[in-house]
Parts: sequence; structure tokens; C-alpha cells
Amino acid sequence: MRARALAIAISVVAVLLAALWFTHKGPVPRPLIAQARGHCVVNPSRMRRIHMMWLRQVRMRVVRYGVALRADRLTRCISCHVQKNAQGQAIPINAPGQFCSTCHVYAGVKVDCFACHAAVPEPAFAPGHFSGAHHIQAAFLWPRVLPRHFKASLSRAAP
Amino acid sequence: MTDPDSFVPQDSKAQAENEGGCDVGRRRLLAMAGGVAVLALAPGVTVWASTFRAKGAVDADPVRYGLLIDANHCQGGCDACVRACKQYNGLSGKTGPDNAQWIRKVTIQDPKTGFTRNFPVMCQHCAKPACVAVCPTGASFRRADGIVLVDKHRCIGCRYCLMACPYQARSFVAHKVDDQRPRAPRGKGTAEGCTLCVERVDRGKPPACVAACARRGHKAMLFGNLHDPQSAIAKRLAQYASTTIRADLGMEPGVHYRGI
Ligand code: SF4
Ligand code: SF4
Repeated sequence: MRARALAIAISVVAVLLAALWFTHKGPVPRPLIAQARGHCVVNPSRMRRIHMMWLRQVRMRVVRYGVALRADRLTRCISCHVQKNAQGQAIPINAPGQFCSTCHVYAGVKVDCFACHAAVPEPAFAPGHFSGAHHIQAAFLWPRVLPRHFKASLSRAAP
Repeated sequence: MTDPDSFVPQDSKAQAENEGGCDVGRRRLLAMAGGVAVLALAPGVTVWASTFRAKGAVDADPVRYGLLIDANHCQGGCDACVRACKQYNGLSGKTGPDNAQWIRKVTIQDPKTGFTRNFPVMCQHCAKPACVAVCPTGASFRRADGIVLVDKHRCIGCRYCLMACPYQARSFVAHKVDDQRPRAPRGKGTAEGCTLCVERVDRGKPPACVAACARRGHKAMLFGNLHDPQSAIAKRLAQYASTTIRADLGMEPGVHYRGI
């Protein structure tokens, strides 16, 4: 009796394994990321790991404290990474197969940024448009914000 | 403390500013939350000056941005400011209940004499903003330079601020938006209002409405630092009588009006 139950269990497992063997198509291909123009503000391999924390910090500093540096702009990320279609129009960066969605689909992580942020650059908004020097005038906020802010950022180093 | 988005001392600071200070018991609580020695509180406020502000300290801020709107120069029928705002911030320009309006032209008339005045009304960038007081998430906040903003990363779309603002300066984005301007992010499910074109201000430029009014030659709007006695706006305010709308509410708007 027990031998029969065992035989049934083994054959069920065998059938399942065989089904898996014949249906599985190999690993999901690694995402193919289009080459960006220009240089990333952070070493790309590091940026790949930390961009989510980086964006969270930067948005805090820019939105709440008005201290925006040249490297902080999401618009700059987009200007470098956006692809153009055959008509020369920018394709939204979160569209299927584009820079953000390629990895995020692969990783199964939803991108929420573009519910509010523009996913294409403004036509006259080429990389390097900002000199950054103007932002220094907001630096009166800096001394009392930055040290704490940086401490918080250090305690959130890359995973 | 490890999450930069729930960074207690900074948020509490914004809160303290906007309440015009808070009582000592609460401060001590905030101090512990911020990991700052409670003993530091005892000798005086100086230690705190860097993190929390004393009552009434808004007046001592080095920068407070504001506007002076001269209704004597504002022309009936002109909507250059409203259109500039719409264009710069990517608003639809429609005025239905579902459409965001950051600035409106208002006409007032004395029914007895028929005397009529036009002027634009937008978020008044109050020193004691009701929108900030009611916001349950800290999304409505007042920057240290006096600009009142919605941090849409935190806004949950509860619309308390729409109800609280006596100037009806807040709007709610009810539908999906996909034609935002890169410099003015806005999206479904969040509250929004005039930002004083904060991105332009940070680049050293006046708000779009002020620039448009000047381009039109009316020069009815003046933007500047109310707390710098040398600024054009402070000089003008010192020279002429001006008022704020519903000053009786005590919210100390940063937008001043002349000739209404
Ligand atoms: S006018 Fe309304 S939205 Fe603007 S700061 Fe005052 S209370 Fe807030
Ligand atoms: S709608 Fe957003 S900004 Fe307004 S009170 Fe609610 S959470 Fe705060």
C-alpha cells in the first residue's frame, strides 16, 4: 500500500518535472540597454545599484530645501538616455523597451516617477543647458541641511 | 532615521516654522526624535536656531519671497499673467471644477459706486499657511525662503488643503496627466497650487506671471525678497500703503496688494 502511494507520488513529480523541462524556455534574457549620450553623474555600475536611494535623497533636497545642483536633475537623466523615433521625436523614457522600462520590467519593479514627471525632454532642454551657478543662491539653506542630510545618506549606502 | 523621506528633524522644522513655533514640551519631544541632546535645550534657544526656529522667527528669515501686485496698473481684460502661468507650468487653462488653476484674474466692484478693480490672485504664500497646518502627511510645506509648495512625493490626495485654504489657491489633479512640462511635474491624485515658479526663482528669475506682466508693459507685479530692505519690493512696500487679502485671518500672506 505504502509502496503504491510512493510510486504514485514519484510519477506525479516526474510528470511535473518533465512538463517543466519541455515548457521552460531558458532564463529571461538580460535587458539590452541603449547607449546613453554623455557621461553619467555617478559611475554607471554604482548608479545601477543606488539610483533609487539617490533619487529619493535628491528629491528631498531639491523639493524641500531648494538646493538643486546640476547633477540633480531628472531632466538631465532623461536628456541623456532618451531615444528618438524615425521622425526624430523623443520616445517617452518609460515606454516599453526604453531605458527605464527595460530594466524595470526585467526586475519586476514599477516606475512611478512618470505619473508626474515628463518622460521626454523639453525640446530646448539639451544636456548641459543648466550652468548650475544660479542654484548657489539657494545655498543659504545649505549649512543647516547638508550635514544631517549627508549623514542620512551615508547610513543608506548601497545594498 | 535611516529613511531620508521620514527624516524627523527636518519635517518637524517645517512644522515648527509654520506654526510660528511650538511649545517647549513638543520641542523636547522633537529633540529626542531627532537624536539631539535634550540638555541643549535648557541654556537657551541659540542651539536650536540652526534646527528649529523660535516663535515669530519667520520675520527673521534672511529670505522671504513675495509679490506686490499693484491693482492701479493691472488692466481689465488682460490675462497675460494667467496665460504665462498656464504655458510655463503646463496647465490646461480650463476653469472647470476638474481643472487646476494656479492664478486667476479677479474683478471686484463696489456696488454702491460702481468702482471696479482687477487683479490676479494666486497662492498667497502665507507665513502661517492653513494648507500646511492641515496636511496630514507633511506634503504641504513652507520652504525656508517662504515659498509654500506641495511635495507631491508625499501627497496622498486627501484634499484637506483645498478645503483649508481661504484663498482657494489649491487645485486637485483628478485625471491622468501626460503632457507635463519637464520643469513643472504634476500628476493625478495630488494637490497643487502656485509655486511662485520655484524653478525659475532658483535660477534667479522672477515668476512667469511677473515676467509676462512686465513684457506686456503693465508692470503691475513685482517679485522679490520681502526681508531684504534693499530689494525693490521692500522699498516699494515701505513707500506706499499696501494690504493683503483677508489680513484678518492672520495668515500673513506674502502677496501684497496695492490699490484695492
Ligand atoms: S494661500 Fe492657501 S495654499 Fe497658499 S500658503 Fe496660504 S493657505 Fe496655503
Ligand atoms: S491633498 Fe496632499 S498636500 Fe493637500 S492636505 Fe492632503 S496630503 Fe497634504
